[in-house]
Amino acid sequence: MNPTDIGVPDNLLPMPRRTRHEQQAEVEAIFTSIGDGAITTDEFGRITRVNPAAQELLGYSEAELLGEWFPKKIVAVTSDNQPINLMDRPITKAFLTGRPVAEKTYYRRKNGEVIALAINVSSILLNGKPLGAIEVFRDITFEQEVDRMKSEFISLASHQLRTPLSAIKTYTHMLIDGFMGELNPDQKKSLRTVIRATDRMNELISILLNVTRLESGNIDSTPKVVQMDKIAAEIIHELELMANGKSINLSMRVKGKDSTSLKTDSLVVKEILTNLVSNAVKYTPESGNVQIVVKPRKASILVEVIDSGWGIPKAAQEQIFSKFFRAQNIVKRETTGTGLGLYLVKGLIDALGGKIWFYSQEGKGTTFSFSLPRSLHPKVRQGKISK
Amino acid sequence: MSSILIVEDDRDLNKAYSTILNREGYKVETAFDGQEALEKLKNFEPDLILLDLLMPVMGGLEFLQHWNLRNKQKSDVKVLIFTNMENSPEVTEAYKLGAHRCIIKSWTAPHNLAHVVNDTLQTKSGKTKSSKTSKTKA
Repeated sequence: MNPTDIGVPDNLLPMPRRTRHEQQAEVEAIFTSIGDGAITTDEFGRITRVNPAAQELLGYSEAELLGEWFPKKIVAVTSDNQPINLMDRPITKAFLTGRPVAEKTYYRRKNGEVIALAINVSSILLNGKPLGAIEVFRDITFEQEVDRMKSEFISLASHQLRTPLSAIKTYTHMLIDGFMGELNPDQKKSLRTVIRATDRMNELISILLNVTRLESGNIDSTPKVVQMDKIAAEIIHELELMANGKSINLSMRVKGKDSTSLKTDSLVVKEILTNLVSNAVKYTPESGNVQIVVKPRKASILVEVIDSGWGIPKAAQEQIFSKFFRAQNIVKRETTGTGLGLYLVKGLIDALGGKIWFYSQEGKGTTFSFSLPRSLHPKVRQGKISK
Repeated sequence: MSSILIVEDDRDLNKAYSTILNREGYKVETAFDGQEALEKLKNFEPDLILLDLLMPVMGGLEFLQHWNLRNKQKSDVKVLIFTNMENSPEVTEAYKLGAHRCIIKSWTAPHNLAHVVNDTLQTKSGKTKSSKTSKTKA
């Protein structure tokens, strides 16, 4: 297209080279007009430039910040106002690794108030030599509040949806069990279909709730020291009724004598194990076996969920963690299932800094193995969940 | 005969649990929120409380806090949480407040409810119960 077609005068082209002063003025204007807070430092971490948005967010004037050592002047804290270790701060990580770092964290403003921020830090490099860093941050207090309200709403809505389903299931079971008089085999068969449909609806509600939580990156990370063998025993206790229904032998064992303790989010671990074990029970024929094996390692805990089930066909193995994927051999046997369980499990394990893999032979069974670090991944420790 | 207090705000479910456990041979009292349960407990000491968590007026957790204060945590009454809030912080809190077991409502069939109630009553309890085997349906 000819430049004159869009009304650009010919005499403006070609663009002249900017002088060093002009370039500096341009950079200054860009820096000042950024809507997010922006601070640059020299290679020692001393503040060299602060834009108006940063001053407004932190409550300090430019004069109060220039020349100060960034980590000392701008205090990073946890959500409950406890100072964060220098090594865990995004700017330190960017300096040490030379790579950009994106995290959520909290800063303490001049007036002591704590604000939630999404931070991006990059090193400023010249011919590979660090000259300093630039940190850009924005207030995410409102986003966090919206996320919290969304989570609360989903949790409440899922509970309210399940209550009438529980009534449908309980009364249907009571009809089958003859509480209101004996039924004929056809009537019982029809009512079992009602129960299967309510089970499917329950499963959908549960899994959609968790996938929504995962995708919003909004799973609470509250690491505490937990014992993996105790969590496994709890899951067995909760799912034994389900396993008994198919005469499946559900058991667990710990290999070795080392401690099975790890610092992690116990509710997320329970969710992972509940999904893997209930899947194993569901996809194992009657009178089969499902076993949880906990193997403590030096820096991680390895958990295996071994079943004697129908197995995953070779052709389906690559897609097993994909959203809404269900293997053909299973679809033929088991109509319930969302294709979201393993997608969720993988997402949760990633969020906890762990890994998952499996070995399966069609007709013989499947072993899902996952390992979790003994100490929660730093990304998660600061409330940022990688997806 | 073992006795049970059912604390469940959903009237249909409350009636269903009451019918099921009555048929299994338990003496059953019902309440529709935590506050009503505290009132009932002034004149009725059950062997087990079947407790929902999310209820109007007073929820299960608040009920447990009040009840613990009143009993100074010396009671040997079993508390079985019956909820749909699986893997939630509320369940963890309920265990801290002395709950013995937690069952997910939507996963539990009536015959399993009787089985779990019976099983919970038996755990670390010095109390004797009448005709245990006849109470549990296969």
